[in-house]
Amino acid sequence: MNINPEHIWDGALEKLKTWARINSPWAIHYNSGSCNGCDIEILATLTPRYDLERVGVKLQGSPRHADILICTGPVTLQSRERLKRIYEQMPEPKFVVAVGSCAISGGAFQGCYNIVGHVDAVIPVDVYIPGCPPRPEAIIDGVVKLLESLKKTDGRAQSTDDRLQNTDNRSQTADAGQ
Amino acid sequence: MSIIALLIFPGGLFALACGLAYEWVDRKLIARFQNRIGPRWFQPVADTFKLLAKEEVVPAGVNPGLFTWLPVVALAGALTAALYVPMAGLPPAFSFPGDLIVAVYLLSLLTLCTGLAGANTLDRFSIVGAVRTLTQLFSYEAPFMLALLSPAIVAGSWQVSEIIAQTGGQWALITQPVSFVVALIGLMGKLELPPFDAPEAETEIVAGALTEYSGRGYALFRLGRGVELVVGLTLIAALYMGGLANPIDFLIKTLGLLVILALIQTLFARLRIDQTVGLWWRYGALLVLAQLAVIVGARLIV
Repeated sequence: MNINPEHIWDGALEKLKTWARINSPWAIHYNSGSCNGCDIEILATLTPRYDLERVGVKLQGSPRHADILICTGPVTLQSRERLKRIYEQMPEPKFVVAVGSCAISGGAFQGCYNIVGHVDAVIPVDVYIPGCPPRPEAIIDGVVKLLESLKKTDGRAQSTDDRLQNTDNRSQTADAGQ
Repeated sequence: MSIIALLIFPGGLFALACGLAYEWVDRKLIARFQNRIGPRWFQPVADTFKLLAKEEVVPAGVNPGLFTWLPVVALAGALTAALYVPMAGLPPAFSFPGDLIVAVYLLSLLTLCTGLAGANTLDRFSIVGAVRTLTQLFSYEAPFMLALLSPAIVAGSWQVSEIIAQTGGQWALITQPVSFVVALIGLMGKLELPPFDAPEAETEIVAGALTEYSGRGYALFRLGRGVELVVGLTLIAALYMGGLANPIDFLIKTLGLLVILALIQTLFARLRIDQTVGLWWRYGALLVLAQLAVIVGARLIV
């Protein structure tokens, strides 16, 4: 029998890391040109009435401290670079939640001259929460679904290279469509 | 024996675990006072492990040595201060004349490291946060030291175990209430708790001095904060509430002080940095100097 001691350590350590990541998701909120309706709903979700601190979500100011980027709004051309920069500043592992119809497909602003339309043309998105605006219960449902999916895939939703590949494809079709 | 004291109990692992537990009690109490549920009991543990498992991003242009080692020095200072106070109700692990000053300055080392860390990174928010941290250090440190000096004057010694022995179980907060209040509020300033969290004002300067820290460095700073909370509470309870006789006594007294701290945190809004400095140098320093004058006068007369 050849028991490799590193193997025994590894399994337990990975389980500990996954448990910690699922139970302590810190969020940062970014508005990429939204009408603020979704932002008001996100703010309502973080108030004492719904109290997300009981599942461990804390709102952070700095992208360096956050795991989840909650993004609203159709990405305007001006905020496109800023959104990319904020996403790149977050350390791994990181996840993106796109809130509202504008973030998913352009919503009320579909076809406008100054927007990109989908958030996932700029950064890879893990959870889409539709609504205009979605209720706080829907936002909580989306975040909980994201945490549940982490339990299944053991802490990483997808490798960043795969996700960035998908991003390039989407942006090409978006440009071609317009 | 001393290695165990240094690494496991009462320094080291025990201090870290106590820090996490007290951070949870603080957050839960604040949540309850705000009429919400609050975090689960293992939340600070999950936060710490998650931060330790995150990628650590070293921003461009910083001094890499300072960036890596400042969090370590900060945590080391807080853990070393735990050796000189009666943690868990047991006598301090190491004791020598003057160890009260050493303990307070080891706690200040953490604030100094936070300020240096903010000044080291080239981010404008970090620099403003560092300036505010050091300004606040400059403003509450003198009244806080003087407030800890008044039981020392009454006992006639700078040694923590001597001061506790001299009080003889009597509660100094009854005879010196003003400096007790200044010491307690001074502890809130030291820990950068609301209403003194201008150095860490999320709505104004993103995250203050620690904006660019992530992963392991940030986890070490947070652990240092937790240990500083426990050590500060132990010090004030030991000097002002008649010493800590046994672990149950320790728990009751320090948690009682923590309830008062949580209450003050929920009641007041954040003070601006100039309001903080004004408050400390006008009211804090004057009140504690008046208390010291009363003590010295009483000793001269009696």
